[in-house]
Amino acid sequence: MNPLTRFWRTYGLQLIIFALVVLAMIAVAPDFVGEPAASAVLERLVPLGIITAGIAVTMIVGELDLSIASVAALSGATAILLGDTGLGLGPVLLIATAAGAVLGAAQGAAIARLGISSLVLTIGTLILFRGATWLVTDGVPITPDDYAMSDQLLLRYGLLSPTSVIALLVLLGLGVFLTLTRPGRSLYAVGGGRTEAVAAGVPLRSSLVLAFAVSGGCGALAGALSSLRSASATPDGFQNMLLLGVAAALVGGISLAGGRGGMVDVFLGVVITSTLAAGLSSVGFKAFVAELFTGVLLLAVIGADATVRWVARRRYLAEQRRQLSGLSAIDLTAAEPAGSRGRRARGPEPSGVAHTDPAGSDATSVLHRQRARP
Amino acid sequence: MTTTAPPETTGPVAPRGGTDTWRGKSARTVADYAMPLLTVLVLLVASLTTDGFAETANFRAILISTAITGIAAVGMTAITLTGNLFSLGVGSTVVLSGILFLAVAGATGSVLLAVLAALGASLVLGLAQAVIVGAGLNPVITTLAFGAIIYGCVAVGTGGEVVTAGSVPVTWLATTSVLGLPLPVVIFVVLTALVSVLSARTVVGRRLRLLGDNRATAVTSGISAMTGTVVAFASLSVGAAIAGILSAAQLRQMQANDLPNLTLDVIAAVLVGGAAINGGEASAVRTALGALLIVILGNVMLLQGLSPGERLFGVGAVVVVLVVLLHLLRKAGTR
Repeated sequence: MNPLTRFWRTYGLQLIIFALVVLAMIAVAPDFVGEPAASAVLERLVPLGIITAGIAVTMIVGELDLSIASVAALSGATAILLGDTGLGLGPVLLIATAAGAVLGAAQGAAIARLGISSLVLTIGTLILFRGATWLVTDGVPITPDDYAMSDQLLLRYGLLSPTSVIALLVLLGLGVFLTLTRPGRSLYAVGGGRTEAVAAGVPLRSSLVLAFAVSGGCGALAGALSSLRSASATPDGFQNMLLLGVAAALVGGISLAGGRGGMVDVFLGVVITSTLAAGLSSVGFKAFVAELFTGVLLLAVIGADATVRWVARRRYLAEQRRQLSGLSAIDLTAAEPAGSRGRRARGPEPSGVAHTDPAGSDATSVLHRQRARP
Repeated sequence: MTTTAPPETTGPVAPRGGTDTWRGKSARTVADYAMPLLTVLVLLVASLTTDGFAETANFRAILISTAITGIAAVGMTAITLTGNLFSLGVGSTVVLSGILFLAVAGATGSVLLAVLAALGASLVLGLAQAVIVGAGLNPVITTLAFGAIIYGCVAVGTGGEVVTAGSVPVTWLATTSVLGLPLPVVIFVVLTALVSVLSARTVVGRRLRLLGDNRATAVTSGISAMTGTVVAFASLSVGAAIAGILSAAQLRQMQANDLPNLTLDVIAAVLVGGAAINGGEASAVRTALGALLIVILGNVMLLQGLSPGERLFGVGAVVVVLVVLLHLLRKAGTR
């Protein structure tokens, strides 16, 4: 396949949505153009872009980390307190990221070892880390004694700022890691077909630990950067980041079933949802209006995606039926062994019965309910 | 519901299978009765160690604050039972119902009309979500999106302002006593019993359970996944609407940002109640006890003088530990 077609096949839907969002924003907010608009969108890469990257990695491995927003809040509060101890910006960010990665790795290890659903465990840790944030902040918004770090992060280089540069580097680094390294690719294997991956010798436990460590680290880095930039941390901060992050990842084309999507999808998804949010806020709409439209966009995208998959499955089944329709009843039974030789050519199925894919029966997979991919 | 474990029958079968069966059985028994036993244990320990806990007024307060979360959680049990995980939009639906109830009551002066409006809106929204989820979309994502849309619509519709029922009396809904208990508590108990009986003793309930247990088999045996999903979401909608109405009646006012932690509390109650996240195993009674347990723990920590942060952390820790423990017990039971 020629690379251009391939690119269009992979990211076409996202590019169309992006164009539509831009057109809508031109209609709603005519002043939202050019450099200020681009830089307002890029500024939203922190915290949203990094958090979405973390959520996306857990989605690729076929799980979902619901605790990431609480990790961000906890890390933001901790970073403000650490900053007051006289450590520089770099060490504070490193410590926060490492601590987040450790928390994430612990969750990943628990999920891998106990075989518990990641949704169940991370909804518990979501409350736990939120409580820890309340403990760290004493339940009140906190500010640093010294605003030097905040100033460092508010510098500007044209369109970019230190925070957006860090976010872009994180996306780039994770993109390279996921596509070019062995542990990164094993995440796709575990997410795409867990049973097959394990049978082929892909390490399941370390892949899960790795995925959750990445998401914990991403959540912590995003929280620390964002809190240090705004020089404040609240015990209730980042609560809407779970919705926005999951929405951005899905709009970008990451599959919740696992094994599909990459950092380009994350970038596109974040840019689309950020353009929507930044455009609406530039004409004075409150944040909840942006949240409302993000919800609508999310619903539209998963609806479109489901329709595409449904049509593809119908076509696949119709093709199977067409191939088998020339055979008589006796030939049909003769065709069975061909199916067991690896080609999944079964007899014509009653259309009401859904294909169940092998990964779907795995109790540890979050998305056991997602319909089979054609 | 009894708190005594039934006698264990360890039939003399093949040695290897025998030990496994014995272990599996006792693990299952512990998992089934863990909730009631734990609740009783916590009640006993709290009564002995915490001053002011074992008083009628305190129990009354505990029951009232459990009722609203509990009603929504019992409604959600049906969703988890059918294998549709959980709804992340329940908080917004509760707030929408509450605000609609107050607004309609204030505009028309009729409480009955207001209750019907809140129930109707909640059911319509639930049905819309059920149709989407029944068509094969992920329930968590669908309800997350719906929750954001409902919250956004409520915030836009009210302009972020506080909604009241004006001079129309609505508080009696939350304060009337029936048999010495406030009405919300009575509704909570009745609803729990109703969902419990419906899910365990009726054809519809058993179909929901089978759908959650093994969807492929259920669909092949002619059970409609769409109907099951619609019934489950209807159950949640009714629960959310009642919770919203009672909460609004109690507070006499409501705004879009109210009840921010409700969604999590409801999910935590269902999970602590020992529902299997993949479906097929959930009980309204245990969910109700889960909600009760969480409120009791918060109450005890409050009476012990712990800060809000310490209480939230404590509840989070208990949820994590219980959820992991129940998972391990269930795993041992099915081995």
